[in-house]
Amino acid sequence: MNRALFRLSLACLVMFVLLLLNVNYVQAFQSTSLANRPGNIRTFDQQFQYQRGSIIAAGGGQQVKIAESLPVKGSNIFHRFYPDGPVYAPVTGFDSVYGATGIESAEQKYLAGTASNLTVHNLISLLTGKPKQGATVYTTISAKAQQAAYQALRSDGGHDAGVVAIDPSTGAILALASVPTYNPNQLTTLEGATFDAADKRLLADPAQPLLDRALNATYPPGSSFKVVTGSAGFSTGKVAGPTATVSAPQPLTLPNGHLLNNDGDITCGDGNPQVIQAFWLSCNTAFGNIGMKLGGATLHDYASRFGWNDSNLTIPLPVSPSVVPVVSDKSLTAYTAIGQLDDEVTPFQEAMDAAAIANHGTLMKPYLVQSVQAPDLTTIQSANPTVLSQAVSPQVASEMTQMMIQVTQNQAGTAYQTAGPPAVGTGLVIAGKTGTAENGINNAGLDDAVFTCFAPASNPKIAVGVIVKGGGFGADAAAPIAVKIIEAYLGVH
Amino acid sequence: MPRGRRRTELLMLIFAVGVVLFAYASVGLGLNGKIPAGIAEYGLAFAAIIFAAHLAVRRLAPWADPLMLPLAALLNGLGVVMIYRLQQSGRNGDPGNQISTLSSSATTQQVMYSAVGVVAFVLVLVFIREARVLQRYTYTLGALGLLLLALPALPGIGSAVADTNAKIQISVGSFTLQPEEFAKLALAVFFAGYLVAKRDVLSLAGRRFLGIDLPRARDLGPVLIAWAASLLVLVFEHDVGTSALFFGLFVAMLYIATQRTSWLLIGVVLFLFGAFVASKLFSQVGERFTVWLHPWAGHNPTTISYQTVQGLEGMGFGGVLGTGLGHGQPFWTPLVQSDFIMTAFGEELGLAGLMAMLLLFGLIVQRGLRAAIATRDPFAKLLAGGLSFAIALQVFIIVGGVTNLIPLTGITTPFLSQGGSSLIATWALIGLLMRVSDAARRPAPQPIQDEGMTQVVRAG
Repeated sequence: MNRALFRLSLACLVMFVLLLLNVNYVQAFQSTSLANRPGNIRTFDQQFQYQRGSIIAAGGGQQVKIAESLPVKGSNIFHRFYPDGPVYAPVTGFDSVYGATGIESAEQKYLAGTASNLTVHNLISLLTGKPKQGATVYTTISAKAQQAAYQALRSDGGHDAGVVAIDPSTGAILALASVPTYNPNQLTTLEGATFDAADKRLLADPAQPLLDRALNATYPPGSSFKVVTGSAGFSTGKVAGPTATVSAPQPLTLPNGHLLNNDGDITCGDGNPQVIQAFWLSCNTAFGNIGMKLGGATLHDYASRFGWNDSNLTIPLPVSPSVVPVVSDKSLTAYTAIGQLDDEVTPFQEAMDAAAIANHGTLMKPYLVQSVQAPDLTTIQSANPTVLSQAVSPQVASEMTQMMIQVTQNQAGTAYQTAGPPAVGTGLVIAGKTGTAENGINNAGLDDAVFTCFAPASNPKIAVGVIVKGGGFGADAAAPIAVKIIEAYLGVH
Repeated sequence: MPRGRRRTELLMLIFAVGVVLFAYASVGLGLNGKIPAGIAEYGLAFAAIIFAAHLAVRRLAPWADPLMLPLAALLNGLGVVMIYRLQQSGRNGDPGNQISTLSSSATTQQVMYSAVGVVAFVLVLVFIREARVLQRYTYTLGALGLLLLALPALPGIGSAVADTNAKIQISVGSFTLQPEEFAKLALAVFFAGYLVAKRDVLSLAGRRFLGIDLPRARDLGPVLIAWAASLLVLVFEHDVGTSALFFGLFVAMLYIATQRTSWLLIGVVLFLFGAFVASKLFSQVGERFTVWLHPWAGHNPTTISYQTVQGLEGMGFGGVLGTGLGHGQPFWTPLVQSDFIMTAFGEELGLAGLMAMLLLFGLIVQRGLRAAIATRDPFAKLLAGGLSFAIALQVFIIVGGVTNLIPLTGITTPFLSQGGSSLIATWALIGLLMRVSDAARRPAPQPIQDEGMTQVVRAG
């Protein structure tokens, strides 16, 4: 019988080996993927048991803590706190018992300390008996620019508005503000019921405070789109240069018989102005003509080089795509070229447009996270600026810069009063373009005010995009907001 | 000169008691930051029980394997510690809310069951001085085993285990008993006795088919009866795990007795057929297959595979080194005190601890099989081989089930699961293995000194 017993012993051995292999698979190989399963009750419960990493606004040479976890007195749990909640809400988002948004969500694995490149650090803390801690996320946000942006939007009469500022040479995002906003501290409660009540209230609020207008709301770009149309004109050679003349009758009769008017039905120079003059005056008929010369496909193509029509852009927060559809009808192309019809833009895209021109035509990929630092202060991840696309040639960028300077510096420029010498006394030159987009059917609502700009014009440090819904003239409502941010960031007053 | 190695056993026992006390202190430190108040009492009680067993072995089975008792003691002790740990944290981590059967006295009860288990172990050694004594009661024990197996199915006596629909326990006064645990022992003895008597007939070859000698059709009777009995357990008591265990035990013993591979094949075919029929007949069985194959699909993690998913996530939470005793959250897993207790060990002791515990079981099996191979009496060989295999199979069924290696079928984890029947029966089983081992390792009687001379005197 011993032969059978030996074989049976082998069978037992096989059973134990199978069990050992399987527990190795579950506990060694699947451990991380199991921890990251949605609804893992232990991961969920654990997140309040240790100190989640802080979020820092570290742009512009200043470091300000904008999210931190504080121990709750008399217990071993931690509570998330946002020191300047409403100001930074579009950046931080919130971390709640039912999930997270913003950086809290995008950098979850670092903040929570579950990222695979933190494993060694966690092991060392375990062995040295230090409490487990999340990693600190340093954002590119400049506290100066962000505060100025938020205060400027707040004092703008209660309109929906979003603003974005970018460092054109790197793509680092300096400010990301949106109004109306919310206080993320309302959502950090560890009580499910309290969270539900606050969440319901915010969701039901007709002002939509949870909507991040800087990244995720789109508006018609209006005349600010002439930056793209002009770039396309110069790049294709269909427009020889800023001093080339363009036909700009008032009104312009389109091939389909409709009439295209300039704002306020004003005449554009002598009716045959240089492109640069048509730009500072923001003549619709001149750029309508250029648009028809270029065609819908070319406009769509050049817009894409500036980052439009990209539904996959993340910074790492997802950015809603700004859209220029391909228009085949020649008459309708005239509307596309002046940012009307079906064009849609986010404040974020407006900032990218200016940033591309400012950086000699090279569009840097925008990013929000500068670096991630483990609890032992070693940097485990740090941003590496990369090129997103070459929007236009340095030559075209310089021509566009000349034109954008005239918008604020020429006394007839649309933004002379609000972003030119009368408003900016210190000799700082801002290059920009206003937009005043018709809003609603038959222009029933007030116009949306848009401003895209960068400064200083000669050596750009900051590019800004502002959209104020229903704000009226771009120059009046949007440009002053951009000026405040630029002055705060550059430290000039 | 062969030695009994009782001193080795004593040293290993001291080590086992030390590990258990250390684990117990660790639970207290993990949960409340202080060493549990009752550590002296529990420690003394546990040590007393274990050393009583050791003294009994010294007297009653001095040649028995020196590792078997320490292995059993260590597993039993760790099981009690885990019961204590789970009882302390309560349902969903709320100490005021007890986990189904883990009342405030659960730990004390489990220590008492351990004491009764060791008494059973000693009684086995006292009354069964040689394994073949049992051979006399082959059919008596067979009938007893079937009766024990059938008891819970009788209306009025049987009841289902809390939180399950396995109708496998009977109530005697205020106690509940799971007779199948004892039926396992009785039936193993019956199988051994029956097969030793019939093995020559059963090994006779019948027709050859595909290069395999099939048994004669008339000899198929016993295997079919065992199979039918297993199915009946399944049908009336909804206990898939036990049903598979009994059938596996029988087929394995049939194989040891006859050495005919054909019996194994017939067994596997019958088992697969039975499993297929069962999955069609009982929604519960089909559901277990779904959980096994698609634990994460759709709403499964919050419904039918909740328990499995909690177990797996707990083990994943523990990772390689574990959270440490008292630092994990095993209380989320339903039935963590019985079927799923190994996932709690995996969570808190980690992969390292879980593998160590599996190796403890593996060593018990190995020691048992070694005794079976070494002993000369065919009945003892068959009995020890079958019982050792039963432990291996039981561990495979339950640990494989909770780690989702195979479909989950509820069955107790030897020595660890909460409850007395399994613990007492397993101690008795260890007693039987020790008895066989004692006989196997006992040196042969010395020849009479003047035997040589008698040969010389032989007249020519």
